Amino acid sequence: MAITTKKTPVIKLRDLKKRFGIGDAETYALDGVDLTIKNGEFVAIMGPSGCGKTTLLNIIGLLDRSYFGQYELDEKPVDSISRRKQAFIRSKQIGYIFQNFNLVPRLNIIENVALPLTYSGIPRIKSLIEASEILKTFHLNEREYYMPHQLSGGQIQRVAIARALVNKPTIILADEPTGNLDSRSSHIIMEELAQLHKAGNTIIMVTHNANLTTYASRVITMLDGKIDTDSRDVIAKSEKTKSKRTKLKKTKKKLVIKKKRKKK
Amino acid sequence: MTRFLIINHIHNAQQSLQSSRVRSALTMLGVTIGVASVTAILALGGGAGQVINDQINKLGGNIAVIRPGATTNPINNITQPQNNQGYATSSLSKTDLEKLKEIKHIDLVAPLMTFGGTITADSPAPANTKILATTPELAGISNLKLREGQFLGSEIDENSAVVGQQLSVNIFGTESSIGSKMTIHGQTFIVVGVLKMLNNPINYNSIDFDNSVIINYSMGEKLYKNNAQIQQINVRSDSINNLDQVVRDINKVLLKNHDGEKDFSILVGDQISQPTNQLFFSIAGVTAAIAAISLFVGGIGIMNIMLVTVAERTREIGIRKALGASNTDILYQFLIESLAISIVGGIIGYIVGYVIAFIVSEFLVFSPVINWQVAVTAMLISIVMGTVFGLYPAIRAARSDPIESLNRHS
Repeated sequence: MAITTKKTPVIKLRDLKKRFGIGDAETYALDGVDLTIKNGEFVAIMGPSGCGKTTLLNIIGLLDRSYFGQYELDEKPVDSISRRKQAFIRSKQIGYIFQNFNLVPRLNIIENVALPLTYSGIPRIKSLIEASEILKTFHLNEREYYMPHQLSGGQIQRVAIARALVNKPTIILADEPTGNLDSRSSHIIMEELAQLHKAGNTIIMVTHNANLTTYASRVITMLDGKIDTDSRDVIAKSEKTKSKRTKLKKTKKKLVIKKKRKKK
Repeated sequence: MTRFLIINHIHNAQQSLQSSRVRSALTMLGVTIGVASVTAILALGGGAGQVINDQINKLGGNIAVIRPGATTNPINNITQPQNNQGYATSSLSKTDLEKLKEIKHIDLVAPLMTFGGTITADSPAPANTKILATTPELAGISNLKLREGQFLGSEIDENSAVVGQQLSVNIFGTESSIGSKMTIHGQTFIVVGVLKMLNNPINYNSIDFDNSVIINYSMGEKLYKNNAQIQQINVRSDSINNLDQVVRDINKVLLKNHDGEKDFSILVGDQISQPTNQLFFSIAGVTAAIAAISLFVGGIGIMNIMLVTVAERTREIGIRKALGASNTDILYQFLIESLAISIVGGIIGYIVGYVIAFIVSEFLVFSPVINWQVAVTAMLISIVMGTVFGLYPAIRAARSDPIESLNRHS
């Protein structure tokens, strides 16, 4: 996991729009999203169902190509990257964690974890060895040859995270990673993600659970395909308002002093 | 971006086929039947050709065969039977025969004229008995051995006849029938010799010598009122080295004699050995039709199963794409799976085909050939089937939208 202290923007979205349906049935899942995410941020995206969180995540993860607007990944416009190259970026740079885990049911645990490695061109044996190593860090090495249906929900999601991390991606996209888990398993998963964030990875997580946003460094809420609030802006705003208040206080003080003087 | 995905794909295909064994086996069956039929045809056809080849080689390899009619393309020669009893007039004539005898390096020339007809003797001859009119030289060219008596010759009576051993038993009730009389086309013939059992109905003369009567060429002409139809002329050169020269000379002489019209063909070596047996062609034709139909149906089976597999694994395709698989990766994954079905089916078909060929050859006078051409053909058919019928499902899989696939609950 590359530890970069430089806070350069990895993801830059400008006026992003995504439309579903045609004619009367036309709806905008995303209706003009402007968002810049810097290297090493842990962003939590919140909002009601149908506000476009998952759509946004799919576009960021290069799975959805049919959108309007600009998307720059590592300062390169995504439109100019070929499909094949995009697939390669997905296998090398992006780690996906899904709500419903999405392990391939036919394959055993270690093969599931090794999947992204095979697509980035690593020979089979080597990829299995690497998969085995990462499973060890998740304390799942005893379950390597189990099939997915033989594990518990929490274990499966840990496998899914191991799979997302096996390629040492710089961006981790998590779509409600704890949505199908009990609170204890959720806590474990979130600790793992927090660890990854500390190690310098960029994490973008979609969640419904407000408690989980405490792990994030930045919280975005979405509403009707638009960004409603952004904690960074709130902080920035609050800093502005703070300075205004202090100014006001100062002027008030001055006024009070002036009044006192007049009374005298 | 060098990729080592082939091994993964093969591994994947193996797992996938193992996970639904019955389904895979049934799909393979179509390919197996098709490839088995093709293998059996080729093996038996090759075997029939081999028999004649061996005969030619045994005779020294210095034999040329002249047949009426121009040579058509080689494929027609293989697929269409030579019509030995056609209604058309043969383009070879007696003058050709005499001209041939003048060519240098030609050792022996024997015309072959076959016709059917009733043979009356102690018991009636089987319906398909052939009467062959030829010259004494045939014994030399075709290496005919006598069980007893002698072959035709200029020093003996014109009304002499030589019979095959089986025919002798059939019409005289004995293998030693020398001196017996029989009537052909109202003319009485006396048996002067009985041929040794050959037991090879397939040969380059297209005559089953065990079941025929051989009479003098001059008598044959007489029976046909001097309008002889020569079906074939066998020529033997004095040495194998002179065969090419002889063939060129024959060509020149005959062309001149036929006013420049090439209405004859001169065959040497392998060309002679193309199977001429009528029965073989009808069997091969029917089997080829079965093979073609079963290959087509088998192919549709593959396509069908692959479409089901793709539909079943839509979600898996979505996952793989999300994890970095490109469209090409997905395409190859499913194409290799269909290839696995067709190739395994093909290998089983190849083995089954040979089993059938060997069983069938128990009832025939030759055994099937085992050579690389048959193996390569079987393999090619399997590969082409797997690719052609697996391509559409694979393309469908590759083009599926990753997000839609991920949302699918299958």
